[in-house]
Amino acid sequence: MESKWGKIWGLIGLLLLNFVNNVSSLSLTITKVECVYEIVRSEGDIVSGNFVVVDHHIFWSSDHPGLDFSITSPGGDILHNLKGTSGDKFSFKAPRSGLYQFCFHNPLSTPETIAFYIHIGHIPNEHNLAKNEHLDPINVKIAELREALEAVTTEQKYLKSRDAVHRSTNESTKTRVIGYTVGEYMLLTIASVLQVIYIRRLFSKSVGYNRI
Amino acid sequence: MSGNAKLRRSVMFQAVLLVVLMLALSNAPVGDAIWLNVPPTGTKCVSEEIQSNVVVLSDYVVVSDDHGHVPTISAKVTSPYGNNLHHKENVTHGQFAFTTQEAGNYLACFWTDSHTRGAGEVSVNIEWKTGIAAKDWESVARKEKIEGVELELRKLEGAVEAIHENLLYLRDREAEMRATSENTNARVAWFSIMSLGICIVVSGSQIWYLKRYFQKKKLI
Repeated sequence: MESKWGKIWGLIGLLLLNFVNNVSSLSLTITKVECVYEIVRSEGDIVSGNFVVVDHHIFWSSDHPGLDFSITSPGGDILHNLKGTSGDKFSFKAPRSGLYQFCFHNPLSTPETIAFYIHIGHIPNEHNLAKNEHLDPINVKIAELREALEAVTTEQKYLKSRDAVHRSTNESTKTRVIGYTVGEYMLLTIASVLQVIYIRRLFSKSVGYNRI
Repeated sequence: MSGNAKLRRSVMFQAVLLVVLMLALSNAPVGDAIWLNVPPTGTKCVSEEIQSNVVVLSDYVVVSDDHGHVPTISAKVTSPYGNNLHHKENVTHGQFAFTTQEAGNYLACFWTDSHTRGAGEVSVNIEWKTGIAAKDWESVARKEKIEGVELELRKLEGAVEAIHENLLYLRDREAEMRATSENTNARVAWFSIMSLGICIVVSGSQIWYLKRYFQKKKLI
């Protein structure tokens, strides 16, 4: 049963050799638990990816408490488990083909937005071919080159997401500086005016000159 | 979910995927696709920040566990300015393609239809390709009559150009952020000094006013 699936996946893998495996980085809003699934077509594929928590609702603390992230293989084992991260990269070699589960769990009550990117890289090798097929070394080299470029692209998506987070922090800082400073000035002026009014009231005629 | 049910479900997924792949192989290039669970109530939305003039291609298919009843979903894609780019109700599969006019957050939302509700979560297979991944290499190969290794190398060249563009974009964003940071830095300094100045001015005017008031009241 297993070998039949292996051959079928191998055939499909060969047919799809010419196509670039790519998924754009998507944003997802997580209220409690959200899971993203990906099919790994052949065993030994390198699954790499990253995610960044984009939406920050923090007010006082300096770092986001983070989400929990886990990767589950089709057999049910947990390959990767992170608690309280605000973004991470991962890369592993798929032990078997099938449906892999990437789950995000939000321990907070506010919904959080994440941007994630998952890439499954396949390099053809001897295992996946039928008996009388030959593996052209140039195809292997091209696949390796493509995978190297995909690694750079994956890293770039991660940098892009992190840049977006930093930018929103910066903009928030700029707004806070202006807002809180102007508020501080107004409060100072109001407090001193109230002080003066209070002192005036203390010395008003109806109370009496020296009775405070 | 017990181990047995999970194994059966994964085998079912594999079988369904095989069928889907066989059907999809005749069409445009197949890329990786993610699977999402659309909840029975509420919408599941995915979004992406895309620049302008980028080709977006997407394909979504509903996958069901049962043999008979395939649930239907509705999909809606909106541009950052609120324009409706794609809207379909009660379908099991669909696709959309557009070229982005403005830069911003593009949102694709899915929800289950009211009459198929109660079937639990619906699994949707979404294929989302933007930019270089959405390029139609078949037509390029046909037009320029290249094939095989040369086509692969042409694809790699396209990927390298996309990487270069991304890098330039990141550099520009970083320059903007640096300008904002330095601006905020200067502002913090100025506002702190101004705060001290305002404090002195306000307390000075308080003292001056109260002195004038007490002199008027003949208390001093």
